[in-house]
Amino acid sequence: MRNSLKEPFQYPKIDTEPPEQAKRRADDWKGTLRRLGAYLLVHKKKLVLTLLMVALSSSMALLGPLIVGLSIDELLVNENTGILLPALAGLAAVYVLHSVSVYLQHYWMLGAAQKTIYTLRTDFFDHLQLLPVGFFDKRRHGELMSRMTNDMDNISNTLNTSVIQLGQSLLTLGGVLVVMLYLSPMLTAVTLFIVPAMYFGMKWITRRTGPLFKAQQSRLGDMTGYTQETLNGQQLIQAYSQEERVMASFNDYSRSYRLAAFWAQTISGFIPKLMNMLNNAGFAVIAGVGGILALQGYITVGVIVIFAEYARQFTRPLNDLANQFNVLLSAIAGAERVFTMMDEPKEETRASKRMKRPVRGAVSFEHVTFAYEQETIIDDVTFRAEPGEMIAFAGPTGAGKTTLISLLARFYEPASGSILLDGEPISGYGMEELRGEMAFVLQDSYLFAGSIRENIRYGRLDASDEEVEAAAEAADAGRFIRRLPDGYETKLGSGGSGISQGQKQLLSIARALLADPAVLVLDEATSSIDTITELHIQRALKRLMKGRTSIVIAHRLNTIRRADTIVVLEEGRVVEQGSHDELIQQSGSYQAMIQSQQEGKAEMA
Amino acid sequence: MEMIWSYLKKYKIAVAAALLLTLLELGVELVQPLLIARIIDDGILQEDLGTVLFWGGWLLVFSLAAFAAGIINSFYAAHASMSTGHDLRSAVFRKVQTLAAGSFQRFAVSSLLTRVTNDVIQIQNTIFMSLRIMLRAPLLVAGSVIMAFFVQWQLALILFTTVPLLSIVLIIIVRRAAGMFSRVQQAVDQVNHTAEENLTAVRLVKTFVRRKHESKKFHSAAGQLQDRTVRTMRMVEITMPLILLVMNGSIMAVLWFGTAGVTGGAMSVGEVVAVINYVTRMTGALSIFSMIIIIFSRAKASAARISSVLEEESTELPRGSGRQNDIPGEVVFRDVTFTYPEMPEPVLSRVSFSVSPGSRTAVLGAAGSGKTTLIQMIPKLLLPDEGEVVIDGVPASEWKTESLRAAIGYVPQEAVLFSGTIADNLRWGREDASEEEMVQALKDAQIYGAVQELPDGLYTRVGQRGINLSGGQKQRISIARALIRDPSILLLDDSTSALDTHTEKKLLDVIESRQCTVLMITQKLASAETADQIVLLEDGMVEAAGTDDELARSSRLYRAVKESQEGGGMYA
Repeated sequence: MRNSLKEPFQYPKIDTEPPEQAKRRADDWKGTLRRLGAYLLVHKKKLVLTLLMVALSSSMALLGPLIVGLSIDELLVNENTGILLPALAGLAAVYVLHSVSVYLQHYWMLGAAQKTIYTLRTDFFDHLQLLPVGFFDKRRHGELMSRMTNDMDNISNTLNTSVIQLGQSLLTLGGVLVVMLYLSPMLTAVTLFIVPAMYFGMKWITRRTGPLFKAQQSRLGDMTGYTQETLNGQQLIQAYSQEERVMASFNDYSRSYRLAAFWAQTISGFIPKLMNMLNNAGFAVIAGVGGILALQGYITVGVIVIFAEYARQFTRPLNDLANQFNVLLSAIAGAERVFTMMDEPKEETRASKRMKRPVRGAVSFEHVTFAYEQETIIDDVTFRAEPGEMIAFAGPTGAGKTTLISLLARFYEPASGSILLDGEPISGYGMEELRGEMAFVLQDSYLFAGSIRENIRYGRLDASDEEVEAAAEAADAGRFIRRLPDGYETKLGSGGSGISQGQKQLLSIARALLADPAVLVLDEATSSIDTITELHIQRALKRLMKGRTSIVIAHRLNTIRRADTIVVLEEGRVVEQGSHDELIQQSGSYQAMIQSQQEGKAEMA
Repeated sequence: MEMIWSYLKKYKIAVAAALLLTLLELGVELVQPLLIARIIDDGILQEDLGTVLFWGGWLLVFSLAAFAAGIINSFYAAHASMSTGHDLRSAVFRKVQTLAAGSFQRFAVSSLLTRVTNDVIQIQNTIFMSLRIMLRAPLLVAGSVIMAFFVQWQLALILFTTVPLLSIVLIIIVRRAAGMFSRVQQAVDQVNHTAEENLTAVRLVKTFVRRKHESKKFHSAAGQLQDRTVRTMRMVEITMPLILLVMNGSIMAVLWFGTAGVTGGAMSVGEVVAVINYVTRMTGALSIFSMIIIIFSRAKASAARISSVLEEESTELPRGSGRQNDIPGEVVFRDVTFTYPEMPEPVLSRVSFSVSPGSRTAVLGAAGSGKTTLIQMIPKLLLPDEGEVVIDGVPASEWKTESLRAAIGYVPQEAVLFSGTIADNLRWGREDASEEEMVQALKDAQIYGAVQELPDGLYTRVGQRGINLSGGQKQRISIARALIRDPSILLLDDSTSALDTHTEKKLLDVIESRQCTVLMITQKLASAETADQIVLLEDGMVEAAGTDDELARSSRLYRAVKESQEGGGMYA
């Protein structure tokens, strides 16, 4: 029991950022707020309507009690019962108007706020679409997703209420201040001592909660990132009996988030308490000072009583304002995390020249060098594929074959050298225009949740059902699809769950075939497919490759022996290139690889 | 909701302390008017400054006491809510780790992710708010009704009719809102889902230039979330105007009956005024309800979503790392049949074969013939619908999961590495692995040379937040992760596809020397031909099993496979 009582005070202190950094960030807050405001201000019409309703509801809130007070005097004190019905009718009108305006202020505000969130969320997503692949290599997906949902949620909760609260508080504050000044300027001056006290109190609190909210959201992001990763690897975790270890790490993430959230909530929780205390203290001061003034005849007792009541009304909107300010800080913490991502530099998509159509499909690399994190991965690579030719990359894993394809797709930019399509450097073309001329079957054959038909159609969105099915047949996927109970309408889970890896590869090939590109790129496109099926696909591909350039990576060397050029890579360098026959005659690396593949059987026995 | 309470119970002392402190604050609030009355009546009216200062002083003291109570309440409330949140999160996460493959797939990853993070946050925030304001509203309402009853019971009867009426309407709204909020959370799932797919498939999206298509998908998910949020919130926002209307209506009723009462002499003016005052106070307290209703119905929806995960059946959780990798490693499949949920045909039907300890079996078959399913039966990742998998004479179902899995090294088809260093990933295989053992495992997996060249060698960060390794490199690290366990049974699911024949041979030699049972799925005949046994699957059935020679004689399908690999190359 005693321990349980002590627990809340035993949370360790939390490291947020150093003060000078916090100060610099305070300036950023204003920028963030301005940016968020710009998003909201798009919905001016709704905001104006909301504020009108706030004004209406605030005045109705004041008018109601006024009529009640007057009626009591007339009805009960003066016993003038004749005005009962008119008074009640008037009241009814005010009350209905009050309720309607309260509803409408929320109605319009919600519309504006949620539309703003929608725009912010989709802008964020659309911006992500324009970021280079390298950006995603370095981040956990769950962390980015947390920004799209959890941080947005924070902003959303604030936008839903803040404007209304702010409007209401300011109106009430102004109104009450006028009445107070009218009643007694001196007492008003006394009451205003609350303001500096509140200012310093709020400063103490928000200087802490600002960074705390930020820490809370970023720790939540890390926790989400870790969770997403472990969810995707759940089967492996089970197979390796790593559940306990994963749970322990998760608990560390969760605890670290809890610590930030605990302090953020605790200290934010001080605000209403502080305001309450100032409110009560204000009361005491008014009574004390008012008493002295009354004794000296400056004011009447009645004024003190009424004034005390108004002083109460004065602090309530102040309290609301203080609370809103804090909520706003939490939204800013979220918005800042969203905007940081939106400031990430885009991948260069602007074209400096138009592509000449039709694209013939000559692809060449000239002295291309590429380094990733200071490690040279591609070193002075040169080769050339004439239109309609097939070029193949061979070499041990890690030699840089896939990297060459990534460079062709402009996922990364080479450090030096140039890559040409039809004799023109690809760096001059628009990114999307360039990629639109090529179709890739990548190493991991990702499929989306949705029907098989939708997945194949991803290759060409306007393809007819017949075209989709023809592509599936060409990729030898038709056989297995037709045997599924729902055929082409079979729903796949995220990542294509529900079918085997080999089947996924068949669908990826179908998808690329449907795209009907000038350049076809196959990176280990058939690695998980049995060799009999592969033969079927080969025949289809042979037909399809006529008239278009193809670039192929395959470990099974017999699948590339008919290539016009085979480029053999080792540690990012071209060690030899030529046709199969030429390379065999050179008796170099390629010949050794072929030999080892044939000897393999004998050697292994 | 009971579920939340069962987690909150652990912090009942903190909860009680928080509630007690709110009561204290409330008490001060109620005493305050009495003190003010004293200041006015005994002080100002009597022109006695001493009394004014005396009671004024007490008022300050009480205010400070209430402030202290409020600050301490903040600590207790934050502790109880954030810790309950942590426990709940931990429990859901634990449950997810132990979900059997079938139930795991029923929840999408994105939905589980929302439940572990967003839904728990909704609940923890609700608890925090509740501990700070919830008691206030009902107490103020109840107190006001009772006080009004003492002042003028006839007029108070009005409140006895309107308050229950209002409560019923509010309950109906909460119920409806909870349903609507759960649809909001589903829309959050969908946003997460679309985003996750897009992030995972970033290369695919870029190469197919599907930016606009993806954007459309996401816009529709975000639009749905917006739509549902707005509709739900607009429904919930009815409460406040409704409360105002009913309570203001009560004031009108009080005026109506009050006028009659006063004229008839049954009531005094003061009494009517007092009752009206109480009604006004109640309206203020009830307006907090509007907020409570929103967070409550949202929490209710989230609690239901979390409960549905927690109630899911789970496999037993293996405890510790019971190392038992010295079993002989005999594997026997007896009439194993397995059908994936919602699939009409079994993926494996009556599969029987046996693997003797220390031998190597190659599993061949077309895409979708059931190879991966078959392999996953051995570490009990999937359980057969009929028949059994027997390991060293004991059916897998009777094996302690942890002991069985400790004896198995499983290399899945897709090489999954986790964020962290290469060493971290290897330690998955064995937690106490020394650096030498790691180096040895990497050497055995034929990847040590490449690892050495990385900037930080063994301690290079890989995975979603690290360096990019090639597909073949990842594959070999995941083989090293299996080898480091020194397993009795090694399962390779097409894990050598990226290896050239020479490297693969060296790998198989190492495995041979380790004398463990090997089941490997492969497409390459070179590695199948030398196996002690080849199992050829077709449409979920064993088409043929035996050595290369035997199959070459007995199986037409096998001969066809052979031809396909010996004949001309691709696109020939």
